[in-house]
Amino acid sequence: MPADPNMKILVVDDMSTMRRIVKNIMKQLGFANIEEAENGQDALTKLHAESYGFVISDWNMPVMTGIDMLRAIRADDKLKALPVLMVTAEAQKENLIEAIQAGVSNYIVKPFTAEVLQEKMNKIFK
Amino acid sequence: MLNGKVKLYDELGELARYLESAMRKMAEVGAPMAADSAQLPQAAAHLLDLNKMTEEGTLEVMRLTEIIQDNRARAAKDLAEIISILEAVDCQTLSGRLGKTVNELAQDDKHLMDIMTALSFQDLVAQRVKKLVAIVEDVQCKLVELVVVFGLKQDGTAHETQGKAGEMLRQLEASKSTAIKQDLADELLSEFGFK
Repeated sequence: MPADPNMKILVVDDMSTMRRIVKNIMKQLGFANIEEAENGQDALTKLHAESYGFVISDWNMPVMTGIDMLRAIRADDKLKALPVLMVTAEAQKENLIEAIQAGVSNYIVKPFTAEVLQEKMNKIFK
Repeated sequence: MLNGKVKLYDELGELARYLESAMRKMAEVGAPMAADSAQLPQAAAHLLDLNKMTEEGTLEVMRLTEIIQDNRARAAKDLAEIISILEAVDCQTLSGRLGKTVNELAQDDKHLMDIMTALSFQDLVAQRVKKLVAIVEDVQCKLVELVVVFGLKQDGTAHETQGKAGEMLRQLEASKSTAIKQDLADELLSEFGFK
């Protein structure tokens, strides 16, 4: 099923510059309903409070990492079906395997291009 | 029995001399070690400043890029309306030319998005700098431990001014307070006859 342009998207990153970049690309791709969270814990609070259609998250963050947030999402009956895309500088094979085992929907290594983000979204929402 | 005691005494004397020599050498390196350790928090602070500077620069480029994107989006919408009006009054040549211009301008949208994504360098730089700061702090802890364990004392500030590292740190510190702004530079230039 193609991605709904009106779906609410949560961008999770401790760096304001990265959140802004991802938001900008998503806006150019036609998705304007975007909210932000600074870490995994902040994201979980928002995910429990409102309904989201997609999460784009960093890995390394203070308070709660992206991988811990992903595990918490997959362990939650209400959230477990939520697509989660990881956008991270963690480019080791072990990281990717860990993310796959935790149930990631797809994985992007920084630095990335808008085309890569669009391609991954198309794969998630095909 | 007596020979054994003499031998033991000699060996203890040798050991004492060795320990004394080792302590003397430790004391010699102690002062510079303590001074170097004192410089590390300052070096770490400069690394964190680097993060702040790249973040501020990146956010400014983002702000300007977003303004251009918004302006372009508005212009593209206006042009599309003009094209449809021209088509309605059968001005095919003019609408065709405008359509071509719109397509050419659309290429820049991709360039602007590429500028935005290229700015993700700042995140990678910031992550590496944070790791470097953690390393510097760890080294400082270990140096402090050595200073404490061996009771090394820092003899005044003499060692702080020595060495390449000390000189560079002084330059970095000075750049914070003595770097002149353009208006002051212009003032000085005008005093020297530059118009």
